[in-house]
Amino acid sequence: MEYILKNGIVYDPTNKVNGDKKDVMIKDGKIVDEVSSDAKVIDVTDKLVMAAGVDVHSHIAGPKLCVGRLYRPEDERRGVKPKTATTRAETGFSIPSCPTTGYRYSRMGYGTVTEAAVPPLEAKHTHEEIMAIPNIDISPLTLFGNNWFVLQYVKEGNLDDLAAFVSSWLKITKGYGIKCVNPCGSEAWGWGMNVHGIDDPAPYWDVTGRQVMRALVQVNEMLGLPHSMHVHTNDLGHPGNYETTLKTMDCVKDIKKNPSVSRDQIMHCTHLQFHAYGGTSWRDANSGAEPIADYINKHDHITCDVGQVTLDETTTMTADAPMEYDLYKLSGLKWANKDIELETASGLIPCIYSGKAPVSTLQWAIGLELFLLIKDPWKVVLTTDSPNAGPFLRYPRIISWLMSSDRRTEMMENKEVHKWATKRTSLGTLDRVYDWNDIATVTRSAPAKILGFKERGHLGVGANADVAVYDLEPEKFDPTKAANAPVVEDVLSRALYTIKDGQIVVKDGKIAKVVPSRHLWSNVQGFEKQEKKVLNDIMPMFNKYYTIKFENYKVHDHYIEPSIEYKVNASK
Amino acid sequence: MKTITLTPKKFSSIALEFDELIPDKVYDWNKEDFEKYEVPIGNSRFPLTDYFDIEIEGSAEGPEEVKMILDGDMGRVKYIGCKMSAGDILVNGDADLQVGAEMTGGSIKVNGNAESYAGREMKGGSLEIMGNVREYCGTSYIGEWRGMSDGIIKVHGNAGKQLADCMSGGEIYVDGGCDILAGIHMTKGYIEIGGDVTRWPAGQMKNGTVVIKGKLGRLLEGFEVEGIYKNPEIHGKQLTGKYIKYKGDIGVNGKGSLWLNAEKNRDLL
Repeated sequence: MEYILKNGIVYDPTNKVNGDKKDVMIKDGKIVDEVSSDAKVIDVTDKLVMAAGVDVHSHIAGPKLCVGRLYRPEDERRGVKPKTATTRAETGFSIPSCPTTGYRYSRMGYGTVTEAAVPPLEAKHTHEEIMAIPNIDISPLTLFGNNWFVLQYVKEGNLDDLAAFVSSWLKITKGYGIKCVNPCGSEAWGWGMNVHGIDDPAPYWDVTGRQVMRALVQVNEMLGLPHSMHVHTNDLGHPGNYETTLKTMDCVKDIKKNPSVSRDQIMHCTHLQFHAYGGTSWRDANSGAEPIADYINKHDHITCDVGQVTLDETTTMTADAPMEYDLYKLSGLKWANKDIELETASGLIPCIYSGKAPVSTLQWAIGLELFLLIKDPWKVVLTTDSPNAGPFLRYPRIISWLMSSDRRTEMMENKEVHKWATKRTSLGTLDRVYDWNDIATVTRSAPAKILGFKERGHLGVGANADVAVYDLEPEKFDPTKAANAPVVEDVLSRALYTIKDGQIVVKDGKIAKVVPSRHLWSNVQGFEKQEKKVLNDIMPMFNKYYTIKFENYKVHDHYIEPSIEYKVNASK
Repeated sequence: MKTITLTPKKFSSIALEFDELIPDKVYDWNKEDFEKYEVPIGNSRFPLTDYFDIEIEGSAEGPEEVKMILDGDMGRVKYIGCKMSAGDILVNGDADLQVGAEMTGGSIKVNGNAESYAGREMKGGSLEIMGNVREYCGTSYIGEWRGMSDGIIKVHGNAGKQLADCMSGGEIYVDGGCDILAGIHMTKGYIEIGGDVTRWPAGQMKNGTVVIKGKLGRLLEGFEVEGIYKNPEIHGKQLTGKYIKYKGDIGVNGKGSLWLNAEKNRDLL
């Protein structure tokens, strides 16, 4: 099938197309520069056209979500929609059902989403849920930061075997990249403890977060994985943690990037807003966004996403289980905890972010500060760490805040947010606004580049035909006006067209077609011999401590239908 | 004033759902509107006229001028008066699940028994049930930790298990007896039970008041005696007789009060 999207206003930062009126041509699921006369013409004159969105960090599939749905039936009734001829019934707000997740991302014009935390033991479950999510391609990141085998190799300083272990475990879990959550902290939680800072060792192992992160970054570059190491740093959510974050960023800066990769960074720091607090307690907490933004502005080895608080009632879920316990101690709401054997832990608790509350407001303002203080939009990605800081369905609202400093001022003046926004942060003094090119960068081009996707996040010839068209005429519309913020939010949450691999999946804000999501995974070549040795070495420990047999541990091929395999040549 | 009378003519074993037929939505409906309306039954919809004869008298400018009479057995009609904010509903028979759930105003009277979840998450208005109610009357939604916050529920018969789970305001009066865990997790509000209670009232209560005028089968361990009072005034009401006052639930550092009739509960003295 061939399409030609005619006369749209195209924003494609990767190819330096900044609001030009041009046609986008599609053939056989790819962007092309020529189509035959049979191509179907779709008139999008003067409408906003971008590549389909790419999300670098979201929790959408896996056991945490399942626990959340079981645990929060009261969330499931928010957002209930009956089935239609094409879609199944929708439920849920912060933890939507699997099909709902696909429909909502698709309606916002997104095409690729990263599931940010997959414990290897639960990888099968994750892939099963991905099979139930339609319309978006999903790249799962496998958790390594608190894995016993990893800790053992780090302790021994055996990076070669660690590289073979990671490459083997990415194959076993069908993972796309390396994720590291509160390194050593989630392991310490097994003893009822946490670690503080990057130099506090995990009990028994005597290994620190610094060592684990450095080792994983080195291994990531040895293997030449498309994405860099993806880290959720220590001390999440603790006032004063910005210093830990700065140390984390600084501790890997001497590591050389693998020359074969297309990305610029060697480490991606996720949901940075949760790691940018100053002060010593919640009484005197303030913003630590400035030193962090300053560091990122001056260094090129780090990229980040924000984890913007959206001021909603949501559900937090993370492998940082000790942090969830801290949150339970603060709020007293219902808390769930999960132990993942030799690999990690996880926790879950509802969270109410309210504009009336000082702490929620501080978090909201720090997120926006990061967006506005980090000068290069290629280094920062729009996320909400969905659903931790807010559900992904609020992305359009965040865009409306970024595009209008008037709207932000209005919120602070109308007391929609607490006075801490102006008293404890510099948000009131920041009048930078994002334009459509910046928005396209932080939602498409930058995340695609950071994740190492060459065929996504842009509209150049050869790219996947993942396109979003919005019912808005950017040349006639002023998004900086506060009164236009609701329009931006409304329009971006219901794409005029979302095209996925050359198929129209959304039309006029409604799901027009349901296609299965593809599982994106990295297959490292060139480590086969070492992988075999490593497997032999660890099997005694595996058999002794795991509750399941290795034969049942592996994610078999039929769990990842359909999939895209990214072959990584490690010998390069 | 507008009176809408629905008289059942056919029974459905699968429950009908009436959350769209509340005064807020139907105050300006005429007979034709009702005749074209299709009521949800299971996963489908069928014409309301298949199941009811409909009569309408008078007219209304707003929901507060509407009186709906459901003239017969509504034992298989769920969500009667759900989310209503004004007007009156009279049920001349039993009501199925969720009668008066999430109502914010107006009044409902059921001249029969009500099934479970009557007055769930009520935020205002009044719900009166002349017969018995089943489980979870005046509670929160499953999983939700914020329950009934305002309004009055009066039950003239008995109440089932877990009355007023997570209640945070409002008043509940039960003339008859009550099953286990009345007022569990409550943080505020007033519950008065006229008859006997099986076991464990007010478990994990943080605050609020529960009064039991009958015999209590078993008290939870988290309640400490504060004293015995004669003719106490509770919640602005003068009670007659001797009452034992307990404080609790100390397991959650609660400051709620549980009052037991001393005469009927001599074993606890």
